[in-house]
Amino acid sequence: MAPGNAPTQTVGPGFKSQAEKPQATVSVQVPFDNVRILPQSPQLIALLSMIRSKDTERADFIFYSNRIIRLLVEEGLNHLPVMEHTVTTPIGSTYNGLMFQGKICGVSIMRAGEAMEQGLRDCCRSVRIGKILIQRDEETAQPKLFYDKLPEDIAERWVLLLDPMFATGGSAIMAVEVLKSRGVPEDHILFLNLIASPEGVKNFATKFPKLKVVTAFIDEGLDDKNYIVPGLGDFGDRFYTI
Amino acid sequence: MASTAEQVPNMSGLESHVTVQKRAYYAPPWADVSIIGVAGSSGSGKSTISQAIVKKLNLPWVVILSLDSFYKSLTPEQSKLAFANEWDFDSPDAFDFDILVQRLRDLKAGKRAEIPVYSFAKHARLDHTTTIYSPHVLILEGIFALHDPRVLELLDMAIYCDEDADTCLARRLKRDVRERGRDIDGIIKQWFGFVKPNLHKYVEPQRKVADLIMPRGIENRVALEMISHFIEKKLFEKSTHHREALARLEKACREEPLSDRVVILDNTPQLQFMNTILRDIDTSSEDFIFYFDRLAGLVIEQALNNVQFESKEITTPQNYKYKGLTSKGEVSAVIVLRGGSAFESALRKTIPDCRTGRLLIQSDFSTGEPELHYLRLPEDIHQHESVLLLDTQMASGGAALMAVQVLVDHGVALDRIVLATYSAGRIGLHRLNTVFPEVTVVVCNILADQEPRWVENKYFRC
Repeated sequence: MAPGNAPTQTVGPGFKSQAEKPQATVSVQVPFDNVRILPQSPQLIALLSMIRSKDTERADFIFYSNRIIRLLVEEGLNHLPVMEHTVTTPIGSTYNGLMFQGKICGVSIMRAGEAMEQGLRDCCRSVRIGKILIQRDEETAQPKLFYDKLPEDIAERWVLLLDPMFATGGSAIMAVEVLKSRGVPEDHILFLNLIASPEGVKNFATKFPKLKVVTAFIDEGLDDKNYIVPGLGDFGDRFYTI
Repeated sequence: MASTAEQVPNMSGLESHVTVQKRAYYAPPWADVSIIGVAGSSGSGKSTISQAIVKKLNLPWVVILSLDSFYKSLTPEQSKLAFANEWDFDSPDAFDFDILVQRLRDLKAGKRAEIPVYSFAKHARLDHTTTIYSPHVLILEGIFALHDPRVLELLDMAIYCDEDADTCLARRLKRDVRERGRDIDGIIKQWFGFVKPNLHKYVEPQRKVADLIMPRGIENRVALEMISHFIEKKLFEKSTHHREALARLEKACREEPLSDRVVILDNTPQLQFMNTILRDIDTSSEDFIFYFDRLAGLVIEQALNNVQFESKEITTPQNYKYKGLTSKGEVSAVIVLRGGSAFESALRKTIPDCRTGRLLIQSDFSTGEPELHYLRLPEDIHQHESVLLLDTQMASGGAALMAVQVLVDHGVALDRIVLATYSAGRIGLHRLNTVFPEVTVVVCNILADQEPRWVENKYFRC
């Protein structure tokens, strides 16, 4: 999709009339079953507005991106397998509930992906977190793997792969290939990101049809420097150094 | 034509049987406050008696209002006279009965009343006021508590304290010397110049309108007993009415479907998983607190979807435009203690500087009637764009109705209130929606039956 075709609509709770709800640009929709976009609630749009704005200071940028990451992780965890589990409640009745099945770990794509680790730990306190460093090779302009440190038993785990900005998908594709080479089945990988491009999502969905992508927002497209439009600038810089 | 004429009385006869679909309303126990007037000469023991009654009942909703608060401010010339003991403080003209009547009417209507603060040192009203809100019984004490017919009309009981004038003077001498630092000559000058003549002229005639004339002040055990008994009877009536009104609301709405203003969290696998841990009696306290905070975060995020937003154009660091949203104004929170404070940690993580009011509503141990014990709200809460009302569990909805009523009484518009709770009983939700259809409710679990308040016990571990 070419930049400039952003869908704009009213957002807000169902009980409000259209006239009462403000207008905002919402996520582009894509025709892939394995892509899950967070509900375009007014609160999510407002949080994204905060982190997109160039006027937002670093402290606020960190705070508001953490809130979105938290929602992303909560949604991501919904795609893990569960089994029925019945418990007795403090008031003596029985409750038919659910419990987790299987083990998980996080893998962050350095350095921006590491910004999402706190959000993951906020939901899963002692989760193992692996790291992968992928940099663009100056000569070939292709992504290159520089470093990885992953849990030894990663093949038996469900993997939450973390990278906030999903532009062309070059490094994410390489990261998934590293995971697959360590024996992680494709359908055991969940890729969490804040803002994706339609191009990146399409590349991924075709290449890894069984892998689940959970994103807060799919933007309009990429510009000629492969930046997401409108995007939010360089996530790593805004979170760590600017 | 004759038949048309006959139909007229028929029509009006019919009308009395037609039940007009009226909006259900909630009457808090402080609507229609009972007011007891205690009048009598200076030194007759009015305030001692009033304090003794309040102390004996020991309930936060039985309060004293002193007529002294309603002294008119003096001009500089009048003030000079006052310091020379030549100003008449003991005539009805010295009091601002118009304001008093207005404040009493506000209280009678269940509203909040700002009471002036009068400084004897400056002979003027101070800039600030004190607030009286939600008393069930108010004791108005002052030399002219029974003087103004408009006040008399509002009283449920009128008491006149009768004491010999020499006893009154003796008490007044002792009090003014000891507590107000005045000299004996001045007191005596004032007594014979103003107090005594006014006693006969204005104070004593109030005996005629009193229901009860009480001699011997605080020593009159029988009279004190009678007054306390009368107040207890009034309180019991109010409590019964309140509980009956709550029960009526329950009957009226049992069958209705839930309003679309009730937003239920998506029952995702994660939510069910967290609920399972929270509801498991064997869950450790560490886990319970961790998972409650985590789930509370989702409840708060969902509640924030229902506050007011407006469009805002954003420019990104690459100078691209984005049409986004921003919160319209201040979002504050009001915590219903004790349960609601379990939400506080999640609230601080979401809005770290959120201004937070608190109110303590406890259910009476024997009757189950909710009672308002404590209240502290931001001054400008009526200007906040949205107010989150937080409680962990809503069973019959009595506490929620009361909490919403408190916000309404403080000027918060109903459609700005978002009640967020962990679990809610169907009956409670119906009651709240019937009375306050504009209030939004965000809830994680809807229960068919009422549950005891176990969540806060587990969260606070006691």
